[in-house]
Amino acid sequence: MAGFLVRRVLQGLLVLWLVTTATFLLIHAAPGGPAVLADPKLSAVERQAIEARLGIDQPLATQYLRWHARLLEGDLGRSFLYQTPTLSTVLTRLPNTLALVAASLLLSLVIAVPLGVAVGLAPGGRLDRTVGVINFTSLAIPPFWFGIVAILLVAARWHLLPAGGMVTPGQHDLGDRLAHLALPMAVLALPLSAELIRFLRAAVTGTAAASHVRPAAARGLTRGAVLRRHVLRNTLVPLLTVLGLQIPMLVGGAAVTETVFAWPGMGRLSVEAALGRDYPLVMAIALVVAATVVTANFLLDLAYGWADPRIRSQA
Amino acid sequence: MSRRILLAAALLSLAGCRRSGPPSDTLRLALINDPVMNAPLSPDIGSVLINKVIFPGLMRPSDSITPEPDLATGYRISPDGRRYTFTLRSGVVWHDGKPFTATDVKFTFDRILDPKSGTLQWSDFSVVDSVTIADPLTVDFWLKSPFAPFLTLLGHNAGIIPAHAFTGPIADQVDFNRSHPVGTGPYQVTESVPGSYIVLTANPKYYGAPPRLSRIVFKIVPDVNAQVAQLRAGELDLVTLEPANLRGLADDPDLRIDQVTVPQHYYVGFNQSLPLFKSPLVRRALTLAVNRQAIIDGVMRGYADYPQGTIPVALREYYADGLPTIPYDTTAALALLAQAGWHRGPGAVLTDAGGRPFQFTMLVDKGNPSREQAAVAVQQDFKRIGVTAQIKTMEFASLVRDYVTPRRHEAYLIWWNTPLDPDQFSYYGTGQSNNDVLYSNRTADSLLAVGRATLDPARRRAAYLAFQAVEAEDPPVLLLYYPREVQVRRAQLMGLPALGIRDALRHAEKLYFRAR
Repeated sequence: MAGFLVRRVLQGLLVLWLVTTATFLLIHAAPGGPAVLADPKLSAVERQAIEARLGIDQPLATQYLRWHARLLEGDLGRSFLYQTPTLSTVLTRLPNTLALVAASLLLSLVIAVPLGVAVGLAPGGRLDRTVGVINFTSLAIPPFWFGIVAILLVAARWHLLPAGGMVTPGQHDLGDRLAHLALPMAVLALPLSAELIRFLRAAVTGTAAASHVRPAAARGLTRGAVLRRHVLRNTLVPLLTVLGLQIPMLVGGAAVTETVFAWPGMGRLSVEAALGRDYPLVMAIALVVAATVVTANFLLDLAYGWADPRIRSQA
Repeated sequence: MSRRILLAAALLSLAGCRRSGPPSDTLRLALINDPVMNAPLSPDIGSVLINKVIFPGLMRPSDSITPEPDLATGYRISPDGRRYTFTLRSGVVWHDGKPFTATDVKFTFDRILDPKSGTLQWSDFSVVDSVTIADPLTVDFWLKSPFAPFLTLLGHNAGIIPAHAFTGPIADQVDFNRSHPVGTGPYQVTESVPGSYIVLTANPKYYGAPPRLSRIVFKIVPDVNAQVAQLRAGELDLVTLEPANLRGLADDPDLRIDQVTVPQHYYVGFNQSLPLFKSPLVRRALTLAVNRQAIIDGVMRGYADYPQGTIPVALREYYADGLPTIPYDTTAALALLAQAGWHRGPGAVLTDAGGRPFQFTMLVDKGNPSREQAAVAVQQDFKRIGVTAQIKTMEFASLVRDYVTPRRHEAYLIWWNTPLDPDQFSYYGTGQSNNDVLYSNRTADSLLAVGRATLDPARRRAAYLAFQAVEAEDPPVLLLYYPREVQVRRAQLMGLPALGIRDALRHAEKLYFRAR
């Protein structure tokens, strides 16, 4: 077990190094430059002063080494756009994204698990066909358009829910927060649950037809027990995999939904950082997201072991 | 299934908690980015806007756009025009209760005069040699040469910051700049949530007329579609929009659409260090070949004024009203081009004596529908006289940094947004820092120099009228239009001066909601 842990930590560090290096190269290869330099009114004197202050007057190799040297001291640099320490900027946004994406994930599970199992047990039925149509529609709708339409109807026309933001400024009660959460959560959860339903349907159909299920029923187990012990248990591992694939979004944020709903999350921050060529902020986001994904994947591997003892014995 | 019904019920009950209608003592505005709340720094539009409310300057633009004293009560100008003595208002206190004095003014301008401080206003005030304190309420500005735009620039972005709040470089004071700024304005910051909003509360100790609202909330809403949606949902009270985003808003009985002239001119610039664009005949011809009215009506939906020279109609005093407007005349354009040695060859393509076609690349920034459409319209008009312009769209930052600054551009569609002053020496004076089109006309140089150095309004006006006449003969750029700023506001919102939003916010204490 100890050897396994050491191996995984070293692997994780290698992944982080590769991610940050690739990010560094990509962001510097992009045309343009930091937003503050995009002002055509700047004189040469101001331009040089800014470049010196941001440290981008140095050769790229120096900038790259300096970033790592600072990292070892726990300093991820200062954002060009926000002029704040990048790590704290990222960490103030992270909970907002976690709240939004976790809520959507939860909502989509609540919708998808019962529906997915139901259609999986009766493929080709009327429910299956109805759900199928809704699924494909919701996967085909661009989230940007769906978000705007949802705002225009629910918020602007019917005045049921707020149009954007995370809270009403100055108000701090839970009801207000939940009201702001409802629309973006729904918009994000729709395609997510469609994907989960499709997936669960396939898994349940496959397992229900598997060779060990029929004998279980023959042994006289009730339908519920067969479902619980033999069908659902066996769909758990692939379900964990699909959920694992959503983890980068959980920390990376949903850029489009966050932008439309003016949600102060990681997705919007990433877009702003990339468009503004905020090199330190982009690097910090890449590092934090990569580190979280690596950690989460590790925990997921442990969860596999819990869900399927066969995997545990291999590890 | 029942779970979903429960959920729907929960959502509906939440919706029931929502209050209807905006509280009439809070004004809600949108910023597209998290601001840096420190006037000399102001690195982006969000910062510029909120800093106008938090940090008054010595002057501010009046309704008639001429500067009026704000934190000063008056000023004296020495006969040689190189020394300005300001008397400061007495009894002004900062939001933290400390008194405002000449020390703060000197502190602010010492930062502005040092580009290493992170300020973006150095070039506005590079003519200032030094600032000295005569007594706690008197400050002297010593200029290197007489500089007519000086008072206007003091009321532009040069908000005063408190000396006592800073211990090190102003760019490093993150807590002040992001969360707890201290100004002297009518509203003071009381809450700041990164990425979300900033709440400003009426300042009971404000030196001017008492603010009429109890709060101004700046919400961070980067996306223009989201701004429109929030405006319609009653969650924003004032938004400035492009004509393309106005669809459906005119029918909303809760909203009013205002348009104001602003000191901006949109143009196609030609790099005049290239032989292709050297001749004034060629530039005049290209100017005649463009159907501006079609662009103003089609692309700008009428929310723009027909241009003449580079001094826009918003600068009423200095705008040359009598000049003939630029006609749309392809025949005249072709005649001028023929004089310059360009003739129509096979396929109606314009070629010079050596048979080389008249073609170039025209850059435009990506993502703004008005500018992208205007570029296409210009391209079509050029095509009609046999000139080939290839459009290349790219991010604005790339256009500036990779092409214009290193002078790798041929032609580009861009604009200038200026202070409320006609001084364009730095844009169109030979060899000046913002002269990205590399225009050079000796007469224009001397007229612009006179206009910048002459304090007498009548003589100054004469210089700029003459400059605009020169522009008609030797156009520095191909003028497209002077856009109007479209402000969409809640119908009850009153007290907004007829200025662009940037300048109007210098009068935040006057804004209020009338009763329904």
